[in-house]
Amino acid sequence: MVVDSRPDLRGVNACERLTEADIPCSYVYINSATYVMKDQVTKVLLSADALLANGYVLGSVGTAMLALIAHKYNKPVIVCCETYKFSERVQTDSILFNELADPKDMLTTKTGAASPLSTDPAQRKVNLVNLVYDATPPTLVSIVITEIAELPCSSAPVILRRDGERRC
Amino acid sequence: LSSGINAEWPLRPGEEFNTYLKNKTLRRPSYVIVTKTVAVLRELVVSSTWHHPTDLIRILKLYARYLPLKQSNETVVSNIVRRVLKIVREECSPTEGNAGLSVFFKKDSPKSSVETGDQNELKENICAGIEELEREVENSKNSIIKMALEHITDEVILTYGYSITVRDFLLHGHRKRNFRLVVCESGPSLKGHQMARECAEGGLDTTLIADSAAFAMIHIVNKIIIGTHTIMADGALRALNGTHQLALAAKHYAVPVIVCAALYKLSPTHLCSYDHDAFNKVIGPEMMVPFRNANLHSRVLVSNPEFDYVPGDLVELYITNIGGHAPSYFYRIVSELYHFKDFDLDSETSHDDT
Repeated sequence: MVVDSRPDLRGVNACERLTEADIPCSYVYINSATYVMKDQVTKVLLSADALLANGYVLGSVGTAMLALIAHKYNKPVIVCCETYKFSERVQTDSILFNELADPKDMLTTKTGAASPLSTDPAQRKVNLVNLVYDATPPTLVSIVITEIAELPCSSAPVILRRDGERRC
Repeated sequence: LSSGINAEWPLRPGEEFNTYLKNKTLRRPSYVIVTKTVAVLRELVVSSTWHHPTDLIRILKLYARYLPLKQSNETVVSNIVRRVLKIVREECSPTEGNAGLSVFFKKDSPKSSVETGDQNELKENICAGIEELEREVENSKNSIIKMALEHITDEVILTYGYSITVRDFLLHGHRKRNFRLVVCESGPSLKGHQMARECAEGGLDTTLIADSAAFAMIHIVNKIIIGTHTIMADGALRALNGTHQLALAAKHYAVPVIVCAALYKLSPTHLCSYDHDAFNKVIGPEMMVPFRNANLHSRVLVSNPEFDYVPGDLVELYITNIGGHAPSYFYRIVSELYHFKDFDLDSETSHDDT
């Protein structure tokens, strides 16, 4: 089951690649995650863009929400992350340090119907915020799978220290 | 329809209403549907032939079964039918239903119009009751928005989906308070875009975010104010898809969730199953994946449920037209607004024992 979110809608590509590999696929929007999580899902697999030294997982926006829903329904959350993505930075929320993508992307719809905000005067009045990343607290993640081992989130500084010692 | 009574309901307004409900291309706020329902029911009471209130109860129940309620998924129509039935039942037997202390105080109750047998007086009383209901419906939004200043301060408020009640609530609060509004897109219908536009046009400092960013943004939000499609009998919500995840994120950060809804949205039903027929409605996937991606549609199961069930313990407060309530109090309001015999409008047997 692929959970997708706007405005990127990269889940559609994921679905296409999975169907090419003959894996039976379902597709939902992130708003319906609570609807499917209860009965239809057994585990949640997420990818990370970074793993911070305090255990927070930096992923694409929506990762934290999905981890929270899975945690609520007691489904294991598995994060896949290579060790080169581990970072010494620490962060507790997703706002103080993040990236903003093009706000105009939020106005495009796949069906082609225009958003009510497409007109210029409307756009000037409303602030469009298109966040790219999302910080997931370590309490919501069950396990992190790296190329060297399967670790809990709290082991991130241990790996960083080991790599630091190797370089010295 | 073999009831043995002369059930001639006024065909024209009844049929127009029927087709109106079936038409799904119109975007219909609940308030408009409610006012139309009340008008049609009043027409029914006035023009159909009945001799005793129990006949009228049967007529109303038959009419409710004739309407496409399951198709249109508008629970407000059944709620209004139940309110009118309660008005008629109160004319039938004024002391029944309000059991308790009132029984002790009504020693010399004036003879009800049923006992005196005056049919015109009976009709007038029922119509007066329906008119009172009409006035209550008209004033429901104003009663809610007047409470805005008690609940909004200088802070950041998050809202979800498009609700006229919530929009006017926030605009009323904006007159004296200086707050910032964050609106979630509420995909795939993108109702949040319309909400953001109208709030910004009303002068609010509005920010639009994607639904996936709700968890990220929620820790700077002070409260969440949302509307709903239906309030269930246990204080739970049947709201737009995506409200449950928002409420879960709010609980994680201890942000209060406030729901603004009029009492015609309160339905005396409980959740028995999350399935399509029982609770939810799964609508077409073209909003998410356009039909151009035909090969995707044929090999991938795309789900697009319309509603979300939000349990009552995730909601902090309900602001209704009769004031603010905790979710735990709704069982009492249900017993005051509706008669227990009208809870189930669908079953065949329910119109035998009026």
